[in-house]
Amino acid sequence: MSARVEVEERVSFFRTYVFSIDHKMIAKQYLAIGLFWAIVGGLLAYLMRWQLAYPDTEAPGWGFIGPEFYNMVVTMHGTIMVFFVAMPILLGAFGNFLIPLMVGARDMAFPRLNMLSVWTFALSSLVLLISFFVPGGAASAGWTGYPPLSAKPIYTGVNWGLNLWILALALEFTSFLMGGINFLTTTANLRAPGMSMFRLPLLVWMQITAAVLFMLSVGPLIAGAVMLLLDRVVGTSFYLPEGGGDPLLWQHLFWFFGHPEVYVILLPGLGIMLEILPFFSRKPIFGYRPIIYSTIAAGILSFVVWAHHQFLSGMDPRLAMPFSLTTIIISVPFALMVFAMIATLWGGSISFPTPMLFALGTLAVFLIGGLTGIFNGSAPVDIYIHDTYFVVSHFHYTLFSAALFATFAGLYFWFPKMFGRMMNETLGKLHFWLTFFLFNAVFIPMFLLGLGGMMRRIANPMQYDFLQPLQPLNVFATIASILLLLGQIPFVINFFWSLVKGKVAERNPWQANTLEWSAPSPPPHGNFDTVPIVYRGPYEYSHPSVPEDWLPQDRPTMPTLRQSSGQAAAV
Amino acid sequence: MAETHVMATGVEIRTATGIPTGKMGLWWFLASEIVLFGGLIGAYIMSRLGSGGWSEMAAHLSVPIGTINTFVLLTSSLTMVLAFAAADKGDQKGIRTWLLLTVLLGLAFLIIKGFEWGSEIGAGFTPMAGSFWSFYYTMTGLHALHVLAGVVINLLLFLSALMGLLRGREHRVELAGLYWHFVDIVWIFLFPLLYLSWPKGGL
Amino acid sequence: MARERVHPNYVAVWLWLVGLLIASVGVTTLPISTGVALFLIFAMAVVKAVLVALNYMHLKFEHLLICAMAIVPLVIFFILWIVLYPDIALH
Repeated sequence: MSARVEVEERVSFFRTYVFSIDHKMIAKQYLAIGLFWAIVGGLLAYLMRWQLAYPDTEAPGWGFIGPEFYNMVVTMHGTIMVFFVAMPILLGAFGNFLIPLMVGARDMAFPRLNMLSVWTFALSSLVLLISFFVPGGAASAGWTGYPPLSAKPIYTGVNWGLNLWILALALEFTSFLMGGINFLTTTANLRAPGMSMFRLPLLVWMQITAAVLFMLSVGPLIAGAVMLLLDRVVGTSFYLPEGGGDPLLWQHLFWFFGHPEVYVILLPGLGIMLEILPFFSRKPIFGYRPIIYSTIAAGILSFVVWAHHQFLSGMDPRLAMPFSLTTIIISVPFALMVFAMIATLWGGSISFPTPMLFALGTLAVFLIGGLTGIFNGSAPVDIYIHDTYFVVSHFHYTLFSAALFATFAGLYFWFPKMFGRMMNETLGKLHFWLTFFLFNAVFIPMFLLGLGGMMRRIANPMQYDFLQPLQPLNVFATIASILLLLGQIPFVINFFWSLVKGKVAERNPWQANTLEWSAPSPPPHGNFDTVPIVYRGPYEYSHPSVPEDWLPQDRPTMPTLRQSSGQAAAV
Repeated sequence: MAETHVMATGVEIRTATGIPTGKMGLWWFLASEIVLFGGLIGAYIMSRLGSGGWSEMAAHLSVPIGTINTFVLLTSSLTMVLAFAAADKGDQKGIRTWLLLTVLLGLAFLIIKGFEWGSEIGAGFTPMAGSFWSFYYTMTGLHALHVLAGVVINLLLFLSALMGLLRGREHRVELAGLYWHFVDIVWIFLFPLLYLSWPKGGL
Repeated sequence: MARERVHPNYVAVWLWLVGLLIASVGVTTLPISTGVALFLIFAMAVVKAVLVALNYMHLKFEHLLICAMAIVPLVIFFILWIVLYPDIALH
């Protein structure tokens, strides 16, 4: 890719906003679609929580829910949040926006492929949206789509809704495969002069690890999805026992992808946290290379843990021990990262603007999510908590850490770079505290519900005698969840108001080191005035030889300075 | 520091690893395709090992036709790589000739496969006729879609070459070739897995 | 910097491929046990695939990273195969 900067005089509306090949606009398109689906997913969560707290009553603003519709709500909430909110925002938006800027490139390696990827994603969104309106309604076999329930339309009563669900996912996978090619190639080849792999910001390392995980794990599920579609539409029996098939085959194919997928979502979130925590501590990150090696180790391990989702599936019991072992081992690299984060904060000059609050929230929430994962990963314990609300709470803690807290941290932090304006701090802080407290208020009760035996995916807990005493927990969680949804309003107001009326941002309003802050806010096509040259790593905060507490990657090497202690320091 | 890789035709491509960017992108794509077919083939192998009676079903496949088709695809790989050799020398006429042959051989493969399917379905061996047949149509079908995509790409390249648009962009022949050889390799495994795995009433 | 491309003898490789193809089909006619026959057939398939990969796809001459992109996915799906075996093959 040449280093030409193209100056375009009059570009049409369509080429700027609709058919753009600029990675920054594509990132915003992913963000817009992701935020749209976040609202839909949140509404579905409301309906779910209402049905659980007040079964078979009419939800205000909607109406009667009931068991059949509940199945669809549960399914689509999961599908939407994982594939149409977390993926597009964490990878599509943050990855696309930041990777070229952070490596010092003018755009992605394949800009037109990038445009194709976001359009494929838009198409997959459209297919999923349509699936709500076809006769029979949208998919209702769980976001995991287990056969035999999903393999024969007559079992769910949903025909085209599930077929379109499969198609939407296939398109979504294709979109992110294309995106992954861009992320990896751009990071490998388009780095600015002086930007060695070990001078890359950790966010980039996390994004490319996530891309590798996705690309190497999604294949078997695409094959499996084709087989599921054939079972449904043509009448084959890949997964139907009466025809010689095996439902367990789907489970393996699904989770072989499904487990790396959760790290695909988690790692970019951790990457955002890993940029913001050292930044607001004005300290270099503790353990830059160990964090990278841990990430790679976790990535490799993520391919051999998947059957911990299947301990109670009837699979060969001899698989339980190896998978328990690998699952417990995978907690080690993540624990290392948590310790590195704490060590980074230790002794730092910490300030608490909104991005930092959300980054700290990410860390706290991730800690609880990770610890509760160990319980689930140990097969004997999982016998009791599998398919209960303990699992639900565990994965909401881990998912929220990345897809919610880290996302908000990233949005508040990079909003000036993306949109050229600052967000409002007061509304931001209000948003954080509401979200943090209410999130815990929703999901701590769920740990208790799970330990008390409440099963997943049931529409009416009151029909079980042993669950009736626990119902107040359900009601509490529901009220908290409604307040949590309302607590996002300050963010929505802040976001849209700041787009128009926020304080105009300068090039580097935060005084940060990474390369994107050397470009204008927002950067034009081609990103940089001149291609940057990189002299150092990204975490040189509070370096002793410069008066400021920050030292950008592309500031030229200073002559040797002598400190009062007589030590020479060359940067 | 950035290096540049110069094709014999003088085209320069920026790269920090020394690997041309287009080639790297294509290999990432192939990596994901390897896992896709690997997963599907693995499901087939394990399902076959766990069931009985698949050999009886597989016996209805025509080994001669499968062999001919394999030969066609192998030869198309040869013509494809010869097109690449021509591209590396900047030999436009060679590119056109060998690309055209590759397209024709690819089409031949698809036509033969189509006739094969037609006669099998006509004899009552539909995808629902048994688990072996479900896998057979899925695997050869997914493969055939990939062959079709390759034929289209090669045809577009041939037409570009014909219109003189490939000058300075000959590296695209190499990239298309990598994809085509991958599709060939998948068939190298599909052929014995489906056609040859039943010697003397075996599995 | 320009790199002189090395082109192996493509036609010779093709002759090997065709030879192995004929041999694979031939194996099915031999009076040997199923296990041995299958081993021979798939060993030959692996050789054919490696010939195409090393020579036609030029992996013999490529950067290590490219070879890794070809090999690592193989390892990945072998892991899947190993776990599928007890559950699907042994039912």
